Amino acid sequence: MEVGERDPVTGQLTTGHEWNGIKELYTPVPRVVILFLVLTTLFAVGYWILMPAWPLGRTYTKGLLGVDQKTTVERQVEEATAERALWTKRIDEMDFPAIRADPALMETVREAGATLFKDNCAACHGARGTGGKGFPDLTAAAWLWGGNPETIVETLRVGINSAHDETRVSQMLAFGRDGILSLAQINDVRAYVQSLGGSTEPTVASPEAVSRGKEVFVANCVACHGEDAKGKQDVGAPDLTDANWIYGGDSQSIHTSIYSGHQGQMPSWEQRLSTTQRKILALYVLSLSEKRS
Amino acid sequence: MRVGVLCSTKWGTLDMVAQLTTGERQLAIVVLSLVALLGLAMAAAGRADPIGVHGFIVLAICCGLIFVVLGAYYAPEPSPERLEHYYDDPSKVGIVLTMAWAVVGMFLGVWVASLLAWPDLTFDAAWASFGRLRPAHTSAVIFGFGGNALIATSFHVLQRTSRARLPDQFSPWFVLIGYNLFCVVAATGYFMGVTQSKEYAEPEWYADIWLVVVWVTYFAIYIRTLARRKEPHIYVANWYYMAFILVVAILHIVNNLAVPVSFGHAKSYSVFSGVQDAMVQWWYGHNAVAFFLTAGFLGMMYYYLPKRAGRPIYSYRLSIISFWGITFMYMWAGSHHLLYTALPQWVQTLGMTFSLILLVPSWASAGNALATLNGAWHKVRDDATLRFMMAAAVFYGLTTFEGSFLAIRPVNSLSHYTDWTVGHVHAGALGWVALITFGSIYCIVPWLWKRERMYSARLVEVHFWLAIIGTVIYVFAMWNSGIIQGLMWRTYNENGTLTYSFVESMVAMHPYYIARAFGGLLFLMGAIVGSYNIWMTIRGEAEVAPESADLPEPRLASAPGE
Amino acid sequence: MAEFHRKIERNAMGFVLAIVVVASIGGFVEIAPLFTIDDTVENVQDMRLYTPLEQAGRDIYTREGCYACHSQMIRTLRDEVERYGPYSLAVESKYDHPMLWGSKRTGPDLARIGGKYSDAWQVAHLINPRDVVPESVMPKYGWLQRNALRIDDLGEHLAALRDVGVPYTDDMIANATQDALGQAAPDGDFAAGVVKRYGQATQVRAFDGDPGTITEMDALVAYLQIMGHLTDAAYKQAAAAEPAK
Ligand code: HEC
Ligand code: HEC
Ligand code: HEC
Ligand code: HEM
Ligand code: HEM
Ligand SMILES: [Ca+2]
Ligand SMILES: [Ca+2]
Ligand SMILES: [Cu+2]
Repeated sequence: MEVGERDPVTGQLTTGHEWNGIKELYTPVPRVVILFLVLTTLFAVGYWILMPAWPLGRTYTKGLLGVDQKTTVERQVEEATAERALWTKRIDEMDFPAIRADPALMETVREAGATLFKDNCAACHGARGTGGKGFPDLTAAAWLWGGNPETIVETLRVGINSAHDETRVSQMLAFGRDGILSLAQINDVRAYVQSLGGSTEPTVASPEAVSRGKEVFVANCVACHGEDAKGKQDVGAPDLTDANWIYGGDSQSIHTSIYSGHQGQMPSWEQRLSTTQRKILALYVLSLSEKRS
Repeated sequence: MRVGVLCSTKWGTLDMVAQLTTGERQLAIVVLSLVALLGLAMAAAGRADPIGVHGFIVLAICCGLIFVVLGAYYAPEPSPERLEHYYDDPSKVGIVLTMAWAVVGMFLGVWVASLLAWPDLTFDAAWASFGRLRPAHTSAVIFGFGGNALIATSFHVLQRTSRARLPDQFSPWFVLIGYNLFCVVAATGYFMGVTQSKEYAEPEWYADIWLVVVWVTYFAIYIRTLARRKEPHIYVANWYYMAFILVVAILHIVNNLAVPVSFGHAKSYSVFSGVQDAMVQWWYGHNAVAFFLTAGFLGMMYYYLPKRAGRPIYSYRLSIISFWGITFMYMWAGSHHLLYTALPQWVQTLGMTFSLILLVPSWASAGNALATLNGAWHKVRDDATLRFMMAAAVFYGLTTFEGSFLAIRPVNSLSHYTDWTVGHVHAGALGWVALITFGSIYCIVPWLWKRERMYSARLVEVHFWLAIIGTVIYVFAMWNSGIIQGLMWRTYNENGTLTYSFVESMVAMHPYYIARAFGGLLFLMGAIVGSYNIWMTIRGEAEVAPESADLPEPRLASAPGE
Repeated sequence: MAEFHRKIERNAMGFVLAIVVVASIGGFVEIAPLFTIDDTVENVQDMRLYTPLEQAGRDIYTREGCYACHSQMIRTLRDEVERYGPYSLAVESKYDHPMLWGSKRTGPDLARIGGKYSDAWQVAHLINPRDVVPESVMPKYGWLQRNALRIDDLGEHLAALRDVGVPYTDDMIANATQDALGQAAPDGDFAAGVVKRYGQATQVRAFDGDPGTITEMDALVAYLQIMGHLTDAAYKQAAAAEPAK
């Protein structure tokens, strides 16, 4: 090679070339570079021997350790489940009153339930379970299907108007859109519903309208909402006399409910959550309404 | 004497056209007309589709350019003396475009960052929603800012280190303008929702094909200039620029293989699916980082850093190891983007292990750059331009270290999907890519425009500190948020159930997202200050034949190969 | 070494060739075997195809860049399996051209989002995420509900997908437009056809709540609701792995 000059700063020779004033030194590759190259390569070779690594046409080297990420995670989940069985077994075996009477166990239920609820239910029912327009408040103890834990756990299993074969089915008919009632009748019955005391707006309708509305109600609504309009839990129809509204208690919203009907959907959680998890959630949901009352 | 100087009237565009020979002017008009026809065809075929809008954009741009060429069509032929000088007009325009894209891209970055802190900054407009702006940001900075910087500097470096003029005066313009046309089509496409969704390869099939044409021309310029070089040896910077051009071509073509719905549809479907598509995508995506954001900019560094420092490269032999190490090993590492996924584990193993070995050539490059500064540290202290490049080398070392670390399976199980990756990206993008670019631009601008120095050294200093502080805030914010996020996702209560819900982790990010937007804003302000400084330098008066470190031109035509 | 290099760096074409060869090895070794090794993609019997409406929704998902915030890939990690469900299998994205596995989780993973929420919730959430999740940083997508879905060219989309390997039949391609209409209007004339062509499990609903119109919202929600349900393989595998109680 062409011998260059010596660089005064480093004492190294240059390579003897120059590109528009740029020169290069012929400094040897520092030892550490070689060292680390060797070390990292050795590590890699070791790793290739132990783990799945190299393709061989239609298969690949499986590695001496026989590790596979899929079986690894399956084992980890299995172990975790087994570890949790310390307390989940008790949840599975004990009945609801017994669990609720056990403060230590309930503490665990609330802890586990909180995250489960926020990851799965909060999207609809809100982070604190208080619901939102179209999604019921679970803390109000104004249950559509009943507030005992068995009912709730069943609701979680099959859902409401869900894709599950055994789903709970409920429907508020579209009395206006489907032409069952005239607009005048709807106005009257809306006035009647508002007169029951739960509406967030006082009714401005005349007493005559309200009494006409009562007739409409008796003829069309009591089948589901009951004579006292306090709802029927066997068909999932809500109480219309209290201050809890799924779709809003102002006159416009009530009107819309009667005109267009509703078929709120609550998904089934049988596929997604285990029996234990659903039981935890039912307990958690109940604890939410208790906390409030 | 202002021929070819981008300074006075109307940006000197007419002067630049006048610099073309009549034959080149005619070629320009023919090519522009052909592309305009292509645009017209797209507009006609895609009436009910965004591709039609793109047709009109192409048509409008080509017509505008034809107008520009015609404006100086009858100017006298350039003097044959031009062949004695390097051809730098495309580099000049490229530098201006680089800064323009920098401001646009970083503005989009700040906007995108703000959207995550204040999500309603979209005004319910489709084009302004996060999913459409994000690729606009990444493409504007990587391709607009980074790509133009690479093209502009590569032409500059190539000529000087080969002691040969570019082979002709038309093809560099074709590459520069054609490339920017690609960028414009890409960016406007995102706003209309035109995307293939492949990260860093989002533009649709017609833009992809166009880029291949541009890229082949780019390669041809490189190889033709090298063939005419008067230096027997090809300089390291050109190894990297060539690796950048060649490998990006390979990656681009394979990753973008797709079948369009029809010629009147922007939409296409990738020929790959599922797991194979994922591997091809990240083989591409990772090596876009390696050969676009790393190799190309290493080429830049290998020229401007020693030039500015006035020092020889620390070790030629280290250069060889790093270059081939990077060229070989990077190509194996892409699967580290797919650890623990449905990609077969054997591929993941190869990705992880090669990522670790890769650290050695990466650090060798960074070390080679820093050791080159031995004997010039006093200059680093006094000269913000050199300091930009020094800091870039440091961030390059830091980012590659972090990268290799993130490629370790258990670490990646925490970092993947989180802001930690974003922090790593911007340590590289801001700390390395942008800093080395700014440093190089502050070298090249006075050289190209024949000024003694930048308009204001103080403003270079200001830019330096805005950039450094902005980068540090950004990166620290994302390290924090990323690690917190990763930990929250996997934290378990004592009873063995998950402690935090997803939304809780999202809420915890809020302060960091604000900090990141602020850091980004500082960085953007730096880029604006830099643009102003460059603008004022260009507008300033040309010195009379300054003694520039960049100009061995008298030797250009005469000196024989040694 | 340096001496040898001195030679090749004098030869531009040689250098180019060397770069191409050296750089091609890694990709070749990692990618080519993914097409030859049999167990790369699991073999399952029950794999469904996307209906035209679902595919149109997938294209909207791509267009809006949902993948920039949402992954569709549950990794083989305990916390992900416990939070999102069974880890993703390769076969589940077998017909995804391109895949949308994603690389960032600003929002949660969506690989198993299908059926997790009701259509009404999805619509409300897309129109304004903060109406249902006050803390959310997800953008609003109100225009999806306003824009009619373009359905006249769905056959061309399916044909292009067939060109890249998705086994759509001539019948499916010819009826793509009707099948989209049918899937979004359960009481309409075309509902039976889509079920016939795509199977009993096909979800036929007014996804956006209005059977009278076919909007981009219909398509996107149809896509979201099918996610994770093209095959039951992952669930079956998870059930098999569950310890006997
Ligand atoms: C897609 C939205 C959605 C999600 C997610 C959801 N729910 Fe519901 N849930 C509803 C709706 C809507 C109703 C009321 C159905 C009706 O209007 O008839 C409901 C009803 C209920 C009820 C019955 C209330 C009563 O008064 O009888 C319970 C209990 C309940 N949900 C608990 C949960 C739990 C626990 C979860 C999480 C595992 C959950 N929900 C997830 C939408 C949802
Ligand atoms: C077939 C049974 C049925 C009949 C008949 C019926 N309802 Fe309902 N109604 C329901 C159910 C079930 C709901 C809850 C729907 C849901 O949550 O999706 C409901 C909800 C409502 C609501 C909304 C309550 C809220 O919390 O927002 C109003 C108001 C209402 N009904 C009024 C009436 C009136 C007035 C009539 C008669 C004209 C009537 N309903 C007839 C079943 C019925
Ligand atoms: C800026 C990031 C961002 C973009 C873009 C985005 N999302 Fe989201 N997404 C989120 C966040 C954060 C959440 C969690 C909070 C919430 O539920 O709104 C979320 C939640 C969701 C959920 C509920 C997931 C669950 O399991 O609770 C769905 C479904 C969803 N997004 C779909 C989409 C679709 C479809 C698009 C595109 C049209 C989209 N997202 C675009 C950030 C985003
Ligand atoms: C003003 C400075 C910048 C700001 C504020 C900024 C902001 C952002 C934001 C908010 C994201 C999205 C992150 C997410 O999805 O959570 C992003 C992504 C990205 N940005 Fe920037 N950016 C800036 C500059 C740059 C520059 C200069 C480059 C490249 C040269 C760059 C390259 C990228 C890349 C590659 C991504 C995608 C990262 C990934 O997919 O993980 N950015 N940026
Ligand atoms: C030794 C060198 C490097 C290695 C081994 C490396 C490794 C990695 C790893 C492991 C990830 C995370 C992948 C994930 O979990 O999603 C990543 C992401 C990324 N890195 Fe690096 N990195 C290196 C250098 C760089 C440099 C110098 C840049 C320059 C800008 C860079 C840019 C990026 C980008 C843009 C991403 C985000 C990709 C995406 O998800 O969109 N990396 N890198
Ligand atoms: Ca593309
Ligand atoms: Ca509809
Ligand atoms: Cu990578």
